Amino acid sequence: MDKNLFIAKNVIIQGITGGQGSFHAKAMKAAGTNVVAGTSPNKAGEVVDDIPVYVTVNDIMKDHSVDISVIFVPAPFAKAAILESITAKVPLIICITEGIPIHDMLHIKQRIVGGSSVLIGPNCPGVLLPGVNKLGIIPSGMGLAGSVGIVSRSGTLTYEAMAGLTARGIGQKYVIGIGGDPVRGTGFIECLDLFENDPDVTSIVMIGEIGGTDEIAAAEHIKNNITKPVYGYIAGHHAPAGVQLGHAGAILGSDDESASSKTARLTEASVRMSDSIVQLTQSVK
Amino acid sequence: MKLLEYEAKTILRNAKIPVPNAVVITRDFTPELKLPVVLKSQVPIGGRGKLGGIVIVDAPEDITPTIDTLFDLPIRGYLPNAILAEEKLAIKNEYYFSIVINKSQATIELVAHKNGGVEVEANDHDSFLHVTLNHRNAEQAGEQLAEYLDLPGQSFVLQDLIENTYKCFVKNDATLLEINPLVLTTQNKLVAGDCKMEVDNSAAFRHPEWDFEDKPANANFVVLDNQGTVATIANGAGLAMATVDAVATAGMRPANFLDIGGGASAASVLTAFERIMEFPNIQAIVINIFAGITRCDEVARAIISAKSHITTLPPLFIRLAGTNFEAAAELLAVENISILATLDECLSAAKEVSNG
Repeated sequence: MDKNLFIAKNVIIQGITGGQGSFHAKAMKAAGTNVVAGTSPNKAGEVVDDIPVYVTVNDIMKDHSVDISVIFVPAPFAKAAILESITAKVPLIICITEGIPIHDMLHIKQRIVGGSSVLIGPNCPGVLLPGVNKLGIIPSGMGLAGSVGIVSRSGTLTYEAMAGLTARGIGQKYVIGIGGDPVRGTGFIECLDLFENDPDVTSIVMIGEIGGTDEIAAAEHIKNNITKPVYGYIAGHHAPAGVQLGHAGAILGSDDESASSKTARLTEASVRMSDSIVQLTQSVK
Repeated sequence: MKLLEYEAKTILRNAKIPVPNAVVITRDFTPELKLPVVLKSQVPIGGRGKLGGIVIVDAPEDITPTIDTLFDLPIRGYLPNAILAEEKLAIKNEYYFSIVINKSQATIELVAHKNGGVEVEANDHDSFLHVTLNHRNAEQAGEQLAEYLDLPGQSFVLQDLIENTYKCFVKNDATLLEINPLVLTTQNKLVAGDCKMEVDNSAAFRHPEWDFEDKPANANFVVLDNQGTVATIANGAGLAMATVDAVATAGMRPANFLDIGGGASAASVLTAFERIMEFPNIQAIVINIFAGITRCDEVARAIISAKSHITTLPPLFIRLAGTNFEAAAELLAVENISILATLDECLSAAKEVSNG
């Protein structure tokens, strides 16, 4: 991922007239994000907080260039919304929507590979660059501009980590929620590389959870490619097997997917692992 | 949702995947049966054959008593609502055949093994065949499978099987379709001996036809330990998991996982308290809220309301942070409900009142 993807540019909101979309459009704008337009199937011509509403992304592109789309469209229509942005070659697509069917995500992943868009999410809180850009629902008041890169599958643990660091006076360059679904766009590895390659970032916080094996792949990647200090925590040490805990992706299948096995593999990769989220924010230097 | 065998096989039959001739027996109705017949208890438990859940009946006088026995036989705590009565297959060989989602590759994959049946897990991990499927490569995958299973004469049959199961998998928003065993009969027919199928709850909106015995589980409230002594309430799946972890690490028994969700309202928090009161041994409730979208004052109102409605409420240990914290602190102060600064403080205090 190119770090310039996230820097203040023209942002649109797909699903801007819904409850979530309109609320967060205002919050993003208030935080200084350059929200130029939004989409809604039946409300073209209206405005939300002075932001003009169009039917499609293509319609917006007749009037504005679009660099980033943040999607709040309800799950049954989210696949079409994401594909619309991929087709329109929007460079960065951030999908907040929760509950998208996994088969829809398989289809989208095939389209992302070989396309020119980066997808973050779905089922994620988005991205915050404190003091720079708010792309999603991460509360910007809790951030502090600085040099830590945070990447997490969980929304609230992202906020905890960010607020915990802010309370200690440690600022963040990137706060990225990659989402709680089993099949998602950007993963840990792309974010770790972003942090490694950005000279502004001095240390990395990585928060995983049970289910899937992405943290194991990330451990391998850290061992071979990441030189900056990484601090980590895996949620769900006391999760029962085979039961979904909130997130669609948080389900413990094989032993590999457990918190203890992921913690062990990350420790082997020299990640400084913590037993709790509080300990994690206190451990960061 | 996990489908029962008879539900899955109905879907297979409609998708032109060969299944044994069968009828379903309910508690109220037994259709006419052709002997010999295999009676299979419809419970969501693997290995039920070894637990007495599958019985072959040869004599007409054994039919009714066997059905009665099966309906009354709990298998790992499950009593069946239905019994599947199938023709007895003349088995020459048993294979393992499944379609799964490879999450890390974001692909649909065929997984097969020469040795199917209940002992499939004993097979060496590396000896399974894995083929990535798409809507165009059934022919090639069928050839590969025929070669792997050493069934050169069945290449076309396997191509059809793969094509039909793949289509069935996609059309039904399945996350697992496992045919084990895939039976080769003495007449060289390939038939789905048993079938395990799981479908994606998130896709329910486009499947009005879904009406299975299993209902979508509430992923936001999960019972961890019925005898647990400490209940947890948190917002966000990650924070809820982290709260359970912290309670257990502090040496107490967490009873539940509960994510009241982003934007949690007073009503949803009150419902959460009511659920928690159903546990018999709760001595403390740990509330851990980090409000991003959620508002602390909403949660505070719910806590106050729960305190006045539920007289037997165990002691609450509350950590609140984030949006509208000050308003919440004021509300709770009026009611003499204290907020603790950190989760750690909540845990130490909870430990004093609970017996661990």
